[in-house]
Amino acid sequence: MSPELDQRSDSQRIPKTLLAIVAGWILPGLGHVMLGRVRRGLLFAGLLVGAYGLGLAHDGRLALRDERQPFLSTLQVIANAGIGPADMLARLFVYGELVYSLPRGIQGGAKNEHSETFRERTRSALSIYGTAYVWTAGLMNLLLLFDIWDIGMARKP
Amino acid sequence: MRSHLLHMMLYSVIVSIFLAVLVRQDTRSRIRLGLTLWAAMVGGALALAYLMYPFPN
Repeated sequence: MSPELDQRSDSQRIPKTLLAIVAGWILPGLGHVMLGRVRRGLLFAGLLVGAYGLGLAHDGRLALRDERQPFLSTLQVIANAGIGPADMLARLFVYGELVYSLPRGIQGGAKNEHSETFRERTRSALSIYGTAYVWTAGLMNLLLLFDIWDIGMARKP
Repeated sequence: MRSHLLHMMLYSVIVSIFLAVLVRQDTRSRIRLGLTLWAAMVGGALALAYLMYPFPN
């Protein structure tokens, strides 16, 4: 096959693959199902939804960007967001609104509704477990998006 | 569930299955990799805990 034909088939694959990536972000496993990997997709969906549910049930922290630790706290928010809209729903449920960062000026001892909710969950005895599940579920789904790309672009059997 | 050990084992099960299915294509090598990863995670954590035991809190 000539390089031109390869290029063309790659460009034909891109829209479908991107659609599958978006679907996989919205609902873990759905991207794999769309690309014909039904069993694999269902298994991933079970694992990720299970891990995320366990995390929420154990007071997992929904990270908020903190100006005092911008780099690390941003990475934490990204890990959370990896699970898709479920993170938004969880934030609405926990914080009462779609919040991703602590308000400006909130320092160590200062209080704010969101920072208090955040600290309360952190103080929970179960939070250390819940946070591991929640963040891992998000990171695993981000890894799955790369897997969808590889499958969609025929780089993986 | 408040047991640290049980949470660690359950967490290792989830991560092991995920990685094994993600990086291996046939069932046999998935099972092998999954069990290896699970044993490495749980065994490694227990070994580390044992080594740290003499240190004060």
